[in-house]
Amino acid sequence: MKLFWLETYKTFSRWRTYISFGFIALIVILTEVVMKLSADEILYRMMRSFQQDFLIFGNVLNGWFITAFIMNSLHIHIPFLITLVAGDIVSSEATSGTMRLLLIRPPSRSKIITAKYLTALFYTTGLVIFLALICISFGLILFGSGDLIIHYETKFRIVFIPEAEVPVRMLLAFAAAIWSMTVVASLAFLFSTLAENSIGPIIGTMAVVIVFLVIGNFPFDFFRLVSPCLFTTYMIFWQRFFDDPIPWQEIGRSAMILGFHSVGLFLMAFTVFNRKDIKS
Amino acid sequence: MRKILLLAGILFLLLSELIQAQEDAFRYLDPIERKYSELKDYMVDVKVHFDIETLKAPDMQAKLYFKAPDKMKVESPKIFFFPKEGGYFNPSLFKKKEFEVKLLERLILDGKNVVRLKLTPTDTGISNKVFVLTIDTDRNLIKEIKISPSEGREIKAAIEYGMFNGFELPIRIDLQLDIPEGEPSGMREFTQFGQRAKRITGKVQITYSNYKVNSGLSDEMFKEKDSHQSKSSP
Repeated sequence: MKLFWLETYKTFSRWRTYISFGFIALIVILTEVVMKLSADEILYRMMRSFQQDFLIFGNVLNGWFITAFIMNSLHIHIPFLITLVAGDIVSSEATSGTMRLLLIRPPSRSKIITAKYLTALFYTTGLVIFLALICISFGLILFGSGDLIIHYETKFRIVFIPEAEVPVRMLLAFAAAIWSMTVVASLAFLFSTLAENSIGPIIGTMAVVIVFLVIGNFPFDFFRLVSPCLFTTYMIFWQRFFDDPIPWQEIGRSAMILGFHSVGLFLMAFTVFNRKDIKS
Repeated sequence: MRKILLLAGILFLLLSELIQAQEDAFRYLDPIERKYSELKDYMVDVKVHFDIETLKAPDMQAKLYFKAPDKMKVESPKIFFFPKEGGYFNPSLFKKKEFEVKLLERLILDGKNVVRLKLTPTDTGISNKVFVLTIDTDRNLIKEIKISPSEGREIKAAIEYGMFNGFELPIRIDLQLDIPEGEPSGMREFTQFGQRAKRITGKVQITYSNYKVNSGLSDEMFKEKDSHQSKSSP
């Protein structure tokens, strides 16, 4: 536990750790201010297929709607911010030449790597919670509260979630988002144990995430067959908490697959780190 | 010369037949217009129930205000969806000068004399909606409206009436929607080659209660953001 706090202190002492928090704060505030200024246009663009057949009354563009919109828009960008720290957490020791010093101290390699992994997860969790807090608080201040309307792009598909249910669903969605991002953090962490510098793990992780996302979204039968084998397919399972009814079975399956990925990636990192040759 | 006269005669006969048919069809709309000529405004509680696979929403409630000829406003503390076509009662929607009316058929439905009229807008620049009305000629009531607002869309409204302050006003409108799905966009929405776009079908049940008729609603209350000037609903 002491090792974990030590690693956390080390991580949060670096200024680069705060780049992600600053980026999120900037993007969210900018997005919400722009949305506030051009609310009618945004509402029209988002709901135009629905507005052909229905009149919509009430505060549709509320804080919850904005939060769901930002979550949808940022779920591809957040992995990059996570890799900035998770991809650097082990490799930075090699870069700065402190690896040997670290490993000759009493704590075992297993304890050190576990503490570092938990720190990466702590950072990931903190980042997603920060996104949630800033989105919701700023959104509710600017746009007020109300029922949540989930509209699927230009399709005629609407899910209406009553205001009373929204906070719980949001909480579950963000918890699921943390769970998804854990896989990205684990992947970056594995690459970090393999590399001697930080750029490789960061770029490597993002390359895997982007390639998997592109393959998973290609509209061809072959790629549709491959899609279930990619962890990125399950990463958006947080969106299912805004379905009606909530598909618990699908959510459970996705969470389990992502969980296996995280554990598997960590065990690989654990093995690599324990076998790491620091004498040469 | 004789041929020209013959042609003119035939044209005259056809034209007069057409005018006669139009007049005949208008015969069924005029009594409805007269019946509701004294209806100046109404306010009513509305409850909407959706039975559409792609629209997951609980029942919604609101207060609807209508002022003749075409002002409508909805007040709801929560988000409220209301069908754009066929959702509320506007007796002055079918004006003579705006439609070309054709009598489709006369029939007896549930023991009542009924006619079906097809209303095509005269100025398609303003509206291209084609209406098919089923009118109970015994009670001068529009029982069903079939609307084709644009290509591929079809909405059918079946109306049940109740008596309020001497006016027969809807207590329930059952809407049947059959509309094409919106244009797909984005990677996830790409369809495989040869796949056809799905259609959205479903029902919307609108029930009306607590009518207050001719209570003297002011024009000002319809000037707010959430009010609509309707040119499309029954």
